Amino acid sequence: MVTGGVLLALGAGATAAWRPFLDPLNVHELWWALLIPMSLGISVVYKAVRLRTLERYWREVAIMTTQIVLAMILLGLAVYVFVEVYVRWVAEYAA
Amino acid sequence: MPSSSTSDQSHPVPAESFQPVAAVLAAILPGAGHAYLGETRRGVLIGAGVLSLFLGGLLVGGIGVVDRRENFIWFLGQALVGPIAFGVDYVHQTQFKIQEPNGRVRVAAPDEGRGPDGRAVRGEAPPYERSLGRVHELGTLFATVAGMMNLICIIDALYHTPRRRAAGGGAW
Repeated sequence: MVTGGVLLALGAGATAAWRPFLDPLNVHELWWALLIPMSLGISVVYKAVRLRTLERYWREVAIMTTQIVLAMILLGLAVYVFVEVYVRWVAEYAA
Repeated sequence: MPSSSTSDQSHPVPAESFQPVAAVLAAILPGAGHAYLGETRRGVLIGAGVLSLFLGGLLVGGIGVVDRRENFIWFLGQALVGPIAFGVDYVHQTQFKIQEPNGRVRVAAPDEGRGPDGRAVRGEAPPYERSLGRVHELGTLFATVAGMMNLICIIDALYHTPRRRAAGGGAW
């Protein structure tokens, strides 16, 4: 689904002569999926600096990427619950 | 020469060394500092990661995400990637923005193009499509995160602790 969406975005840009690195990608509907490459990039650099040896480097990168993605999802859920449940309850209670 | 401390005789802890040349190289080209220190594979991985984040930001948000005039605070982070960020900003300012007669430099409006002299040309397409909303935010964030991660690498190269080599030896 993500691949299809990205291909659709690239196709839509191509009809308007999309120029890579100059014009933006049309990924407004898939902005959330950009969390994955960003987490991967952060993990690649961080583990390259922090690991004592690079024997299990890619395994460590995969683990850290997964941790970041899951943490962001849980953080989003927590903020959603806080806003939609607790803040709403406080507002109704105060009223 | 700093001497190494030892937790026990079989596993000496290497001492941290001050490496300003490596830090300068890391600031110029991501990963070059660690390659200079003999950690070639780390340098390649650092360079690939930092540059992928920076170029990923340009790919997502377009050249408009690197703009020292309109997004100065974010550019401070992006500048830590090195001269490539300054180069991209220079190209953005001089080749894709409108140069007004009073010396002011600005982004083209949706209904104006850019002439060979940099002046606005009404009725033509703008020199590039400016990103908006979340796409612009994420592109800017990608490029700034690249700079932040390179800052970690610069500091690591500056205060360098030699890593234990793998069983097979070599610079990896």
